[in-house]
Amino acid sequence: MIYETSTLAIAVFVAFVTAVLILSFWLGSRAKSAGGYFAAHGQVGWFVNGIAFAGDYLSAASFLGICGMIAFFGYDGFLYSIGFLAGWIVALFVIAEPIKRMGKYTLADALNARFQSRGLKLVAAIATLVISLFYLIPQMVGAGALVKPLLGLPHWAGVAMVGAAVTVIVATAGMVSTTWVQFIKGTLLVAVCTVVVALLLERGFSLPTKPISSDAIQTLQVTPSGTLVHGQPLSKENQLDSRLRAEFGTGFGSIASLPDGARSTGPLGPLAYFKVFAASTVTTWKKSTDPNGVTTWSPVERTGADLLLPGASPTFKGVRDDRLVAKLDFLSLMLALFLGTASLPHILIRYYTVKDAASARKSTVVGIGAIGAFYVLTLYLGIGAMTSGVLDPTDSNMTAPLLAKTFGDGLFAVISAIAFTTVLGTVSGLILAGAGAVAHDLMRDVFRMNLDDRGQVRAAKIASVALGIGAVGLGILFEKLNVSFLVGWAFNVAASANLPALVMLLFWRRTTKEGIIAAMSVGLLASLAWVLASADTLEKVLGYSAADAATMALVPFSQPAIVTVPLGFLTLVVVSLCTQSTTRKKPHAAL
Amino acid sequence: MNRRARTRTLALLLFTLYCVLYGTFVLVAAFGTFHEGKATGGLARGAFAGLSWGVVGGFGLIVGAFLLALAYAFVARDEETGS
Repeated sequence: MIYETSTLAIAVFVAFVTAVLILSFWLGSRAKSAGGYFAAHGQVGWFVNGIAFAGDYLSAASFLGICGMIAFFGYDGFLYSIGFLAGWIVALFVIAEPIKRMGKYTLADALNARFQSRGLKLVAAIATLVISLFYLIPQMVGAGALVKPLLGLPHWAGVAMVGAAVTVIVATAGMVSTTWVQFIKGTLLVAVCTVVVALLLERGFSLPTKPISSDAIQTLQVTPSGTLVHGQPLSKENQLDSRLRAEFGTGFGSIASLPDGARSTGPLGPLAYFKVFAASTVTTWKKSTDPNGVTTWSPVERTGADLLLPGASPTFKGVRDDRLVAKLDFLSLMLALFLGTASLPHILIRYYTVKDAASARKSTVVGIGAIGAFYVLTLYLGIGAMTSGVLDPTDSNMTAPLLAKTFGDGLFAVISAIAFTTVLGTVSGLILAGAGAVAHDLMRDVFRMNLDDRGQVRAAKIASVALGIGAVGLGILFEKLNVSFLVGWAFNVAASANLPALVMLLFWRRTTKEGIIAAMSVGLLASLAWVLASADTLEKVLGYSAADAATMALVPFSQPAIVTVPLGFLTLVVVSLCTQSTTRKKPHAAL
Repeated sequence: MNRRARTRTLALLLFTLYCVLYGTFVLVAAFGTFHEGKATGGLARGAFAGLSWGVVGGFGLIVGAFLLALAYAFVARDEETGS
C-alpha cells in the first residue's frame, strides 16, 4: 500500500529521535571505564532499572508483532503476551538474585564464576551472539515497518536508520545511555498505549456504512514490471483498500454485526468491550495465492467469541486439531516463551546495572508491573485495530501505528516515534550484550588479548558497529515475516542453550564445566538445526508452499523447545556425572 | 534456616504455584477447549460478566504474576543487602 506522509508526523518523529540521541551523547560522556560501559557502574536505581527492563523487553515483537497478530488472528497474538509475561516469573523467582551475585558484566561471567574455564566462556559468548542476532532480526524488521507509513520511505531505509541510530547510541555511551533510552521508552510506551486504549473504549464499536458483501474480493499481483491491484497498476487512487473504502466506507477489518442489531455501541467499559465483541461478528480476510502469484483476499465473517479463542493463526492452528502431534507446536512455543525470558542475554546483563541482589529483585517486580500493564493493553489494541478498518493485509507489523492514525496525525506521530524508540531501546540492549560477549568474553578472556579497561571499551564499540551492520542486512532480508513469530525462534534458542546451564548451575552441586559446555552446545545447535529444518522456515523464509514445506520438513513440528530444552538438561546431567573428577567442587555461594 | 534460605524457599514455592497455573492454562487450551475443530468447553466456557475463561484466564495470568511478585517483594523486604 502507499501511505500519505504528514509533516506533523515527520516533525514529531524527528524531534523525538533527535532528543533521544542528544540525551545519549550527553550521558555517554560519563562512562569511560569498562564498568561504566558494560554495567553503568552498577549504580542504576532499582526503579529506573525496573522500567528500563520494560523498555528493553517490550520490543518490536511486543508492540508491533502482537498487536498485528491479534488484529489478524485474534486471541493467538494474546498468547504471546501471556507467555512473554509469564517468563518473568522464572526471572524473578529463580534467576534474578543468584545471577546478580555471580556475575560482573556478561552472562558468561555468571556461568563461569565457579569454574574459570576458557571453553565455557567461548561457548557462552557464542550463545550470546547467536541469540542476540536472532532477536535483532525482528527488531530491525519492525523498524522497517514503521517508516513506511510515517515517512513514506521503503523498508530498507527504516532498517538502515535504526542501524545507524543504535550504533551511535551504543558506540558512544554503552549501558548508561542505553538504560535511560529504555527508561524513557518504557514509560512513554505504557502511558501512550493507555491513552490509545482509553480512546478505543470511548469510541466503542460501529458498523461500516454498508455491509461488506461476500464477493468483495481484493487482489494483488507483484510482476517484474510492477505491482497490480485489481489488475491495474498500483497508485494512490488504486490501492488495495480503495474499492472497499469507496463502496463500503471501510478498509480491511471491520465489524459485520453488533448485538441487538445496533449500528454503534457508543463508549464501552473495559469488561463490556470484550463482552460486546464476543457477541458481535467481524469481517476478516482470508488470504490465498494462486500459481501465477496473484494474491486474493476474500471476506469471511467470524464471531467475536471464536476470535477470542486460540487456534485461528497458522502458528497455533494445531490447538484446534485433535492429533497430539499437531498440538506440539503450541505446547512447545508456550514452553519456550515461559523459559526463554530468563535466558535472554540482553535481559540478564541488566541485573549488573544495580548495586545488589535486593535491587535486582525489586527492579524485576517493577519490570513485571510495567510489562504486565502493557500486555493487558495489547488485547484492546489488537481488537481495536481488527475492527477499525485500518489493516494493511500485506503487513501485519504496521497495525499499531495505523490504529493510532485513526485518532489523528498527532497521536500517529507520537506512537510511531515511541515505536521507533522501542526498537532503538531493545536493539541497543542487544548490541550491547553482543559487544560485551565479543570484547569482554572472547577477546579478553578466551583469546587472552592484552586489553586494559579502555581497550575493552574500544573493542566493544568496534564490535557494536559490526553487529549493527549485520543487523541491518538481516532486517532487510527478513522483511515479510511477523516480528512476534521471529522472536518466538529467539526464545526457543535462548531457552534451549542457556536455561539448563543456568538452572543446574544454581541448583545441582554436581554440575561440572564440561556439563555446562556440552549442554549449551547441544541446546544451541539442536534448536538451531530444528528451526532450520522446520516447515515454518521452508514456507516463511525460503518461500515454499505450505504443502511442499510440510512434506519437505525434517522435523514433525516447528517450535523446538519441548525437545531441545529437556535435551539440554539431559546432556548436562550425563556429562557432569561422567566428569566429576575433573571439576573441583566449590560451595554455592550464590545461593 | 537463615533469612536468605527462607527467601529462596518462598521464591521456589511461588514459582511452583505459578507453574501449576500456567501449565493448567496451556493444557486446557491445548486439550480441553476444542473437539473435532469445534469449541466445546475449557477456554470457550463462560466465566463471569459475559467473559470467557480465555479472556479471564489470560488476564488472570498476567495480573496474577504481578501479585505474586508483589507478595514476594513484601516478604523479602528485610533481606536488603544480599550481595
